Amino acid sequence: MSNSVIQINPLREGLGNRAMPEPCTLVIFGATGDLTHRKLVPALYNLAADGALPPAISVVGFARRDKSDEIFRKELEEAARKYSRQTINGELWGSFAASISYHRSEFDDLAGYRSLAERLDGLDAARGTRGNRLFYLAAAPDQFEIILENLRKSGLNRGVNGGWARVIVEKPFGTDLPSARHLNDLVEGSFPEADTYRIDHFLGKETAQNIMVLRFANALFEAMWNARYIDHVQITASEPLGVEGRAGYYDKSGALRDMVQNHLLQLLCLTAMEPPTGLDADAIRDEKVKVLRSLRPLEGKDVARHVIRGQYGAGAINGKRVAAYRDEANVNPESVTETFVALQVNVDNWRWAGVPFFVRVGKRLPKGGTEIAVHFKSVPPVLFKATGEAVDDNVLVIRIQPDEGVSLRMSAKMPGSSLRIEPVKMDFHYGTSFGKATPEAYERLLLDAMSGDPTLFARRDEVEEAWKFVDAIRDAWKADSEDLTFYSSGSWGPAEADELIKRHGTTWRRL
Amino acid sequence: MIEPGLPVEIGRIDKELGRLWESSDDTKTRASLLNLVVYTEEPEALAANTELIAAIASQHAFRAILILADPQAATSGARAWISAHCHLAGKGSRQICSEQITFRLDGESAASLPNIVFSHLDSDLPLCFWSQAEFREPLDEQLWSWVDRLIFDSATWKSPAAQFALTRKIQSLTDGNMVLCDLNWTRLHRWRFALANVFDHSAALACLRKITRVRIECACGQRVKASLLLGWLSVQLGWRLQHLLSKDFFLAPDDQQVAFEISETAAAGISHVELAGAGFCFNLRRADNAEFFHASLQSPGIPDCTMTIGAGYDRASDILLAELSRGGRHPLYAGSLDAISPLLPG
Repeated sequence: MSNSVIQINPLREGLGNRAMPEPCTLVIFGATGDLTHRKLVPALYNLAADGALPPAISVVGFARRDKSDEIFRKELEEAARKYSRQTINGELWGSFAASISYHRSEFDDLAGYRSLAERLDGLDAARGTRGNRLFYLAAAPDQFEIILENLRKSGLNRGVNGGWARVIVEKPFGTDLPSARHLNDLVEGSFPEADTYRIDHFLGKETAQNIMVLRFANALFEAMWNARYIDHVQITASEPLGVEGRAGYYDKSGALRDMVQNHLLQLLCLTAMEPPTGLDADAIRDEKVKVLRSLRPLEGKDVARHVIRGQYGAGAINGKRVAAYRDEANVNPESVTETFVALQVNVDNWRWAGVPFFVRVGKRLPKGGTEIAVHFKSVPPVLFKATGEAVDDNVLVIRIQPDEGVSLRMSAKMPGSSLRIEPVKMDFHYGTSFGKATPEAYERLLLDAMSGDPTLFARRDEVEEAWKFVDAIRDAWKADSEDLTFYSSGSWGPAEADELIKRHGTTWRRL
Repeated sequence: MIEPGLPVEIGRIDKELGRLWESSDDTKTRASLLNLVVYTEEPEALAANTELIAAIASQHAFRAILILADPQAATSGARAWISAHCHLAGKGSRQICSEQITFRLDGESAASLPNIVFSHLDSDLPLCFWSQAEFREPLDEQLWSWVDRLIFDSATWKSPAAQFALTRKIQSLTDGNMVLCDLNWTRLHRWRFALANVFDHSAALACLRKITRVRIECACGQRVKASLLLGWLSVQLGWRLQHLLSKDFFLAPDDQQVAFEISETAAAGISHVELAGAGFCFNLRRADNAEFFHASLQSPGIPDCTMTIGAGYDRASDILLAELSRGGRHPLYAGSLDAISPLLPG
């Protein structure tokens, strides 16, 4: 884990608000895949362009296909030119590309890992990467087991010469609690928990990180962040897209496992957690786990009452006809996979007693966006009642994407001689106040993993607690498949979802 | 002088700004994160400052208060103008705007600087005061106590030692709470960053404590900047400045002597830093305003290693933007300055 004192570079002091990661070699398993091309390499290039990476860094792509370093670099350059948020500078790319190499091997070939170890030793000497290794599992999840096993057998799971070895695991972290436990056991057999980084890219988003600052750095909000003042919370993740090229995966997964188990429960945890004892990773993750443990289990008949699942039918998005889910390529024509979920979650602790959290996620909805809306309780209906004026409740909205920001709805008197009350919005946009582009989530997360900061990564117990909650819902669905509802593409989901929230006397927010 | 905006009566500035926003269409949004006061006594600087404000307004929302003062003018007078700098936000049609209020203060009116600043601040926002003129005594205690960040550029000073002493005095008026922001130090950030990168290499890091020779080449008149870089190196490596037999050198913690040389060349800015010792020599070079540094590492443990490191830009707007975006204090600045203060002229 830690490095000897001699490896501290005194010239690094005071150069930035965050520590520069130590030189290291990043080994990407599944280096020819989509994630590497679309996200990882553009993120690495942007970090290099921003001066956030030490030049003494190496990137090794590990994959099955036969190709030379040159061809691999060329492919990555094309991808970076296409997907990078910054324009590629030829000279900088040349320098960055010199750090990239390709290692061909089957994932199940131990000899390939042994030769990788030799290669990494050579890179340590040539590029000064100090024996630090970061392994990124960007391959298909069914390959994780063999990769982890071979990393252990080849000794690559240990740092060299006082260096460290860490592993980044991409989601899905299993498909249910038993498989997540199995995967976690496998990871634990090769890397200690402290060196394991489970990526949930939602946590790398600037606004997700801002939730804690908003709550705990503003006395105004935290004092009211409880059941006494808050009526309910709505967490929404909507997208107009269908399954696109992910039908094979999605049809087995569904919205509950694809989005709720990880992203949305993480947002719920950040919204509901108690103030941590400090800003260190475990202090924050301890509080998130407490929230997950406080979730009222949804089991048996409760599921039908509190969880609505839907699947999109044909419809129109942006004026164009789109097919029903069951008519999409590579989808089972009789699929009962949910593309929409709305659920009412209760956090059974002192702070949130009686405050429902309504969570909804769906595909083929009219607008794309992810947000948390905190709805405050109404003022006592006495003062303005006689005037017949309705007073809207205050709503604090934290927009995760797009147009990241925060807005607060409050009531104001309309100018004029009569008393008319209208809702007005105080709006904070990241883009308006802070002109510079916010970095991509993968940039932040890669940098954190290189720097040894696991705060924005999911811990084992978080993942398992989330699965425990989600599995109970799925078990009920398995027992009763009659409750699948259908909604037209381009609508805001099934009418049953509206009924769900209506029981609480409210409606879903209009995004 | 080309008028830097819409002329307004000083007493009506707030009202006129309000009218400006009321009359603009709904696509314009005013934004402000801080107050930036820019004070100059050079008439030709006003246009350049307006351009600078326009350039950085798209990256950093603020209320800019530009003040051109001529305390020596025979006739007294105060004039003001208002304007706005707008840019399109993201891919939408919404424009984000920063306000600019420009003042010209002549003769005795120049003494009303504190009042002009106090009465036109965007309330509750931090105050950054960039003085482009040299500091003079007596110091206005109340004005300086309001300043959160005092920006100046030691590269422009005729008497650096005396001016540094005055900035310390100003800082003491705020119990040390004011942050001193020397743009000359901000310009060094990329050099410090590049040097740190060079020594991230494990074999180079092993040589860091064995350096016995430092050579810095800089442009004529940039000795203060080069000295600050040298001061930073000495603090980070624990070297103490010594003066013996009319010779200056550093003494490392292991009592090894470290010789240094600052030479002036025709290049722009700092162009070359060489750090050497027994059997190794590391060079970091930057051609005039080039986008990249090029480092070469020669040492037995490093097989022919070169590095290309981003050098950023040296335009005034980039430096100011870097300073405004950075926030926080400059923890190493005071120490670096102290380390080489005996070498500073004036």
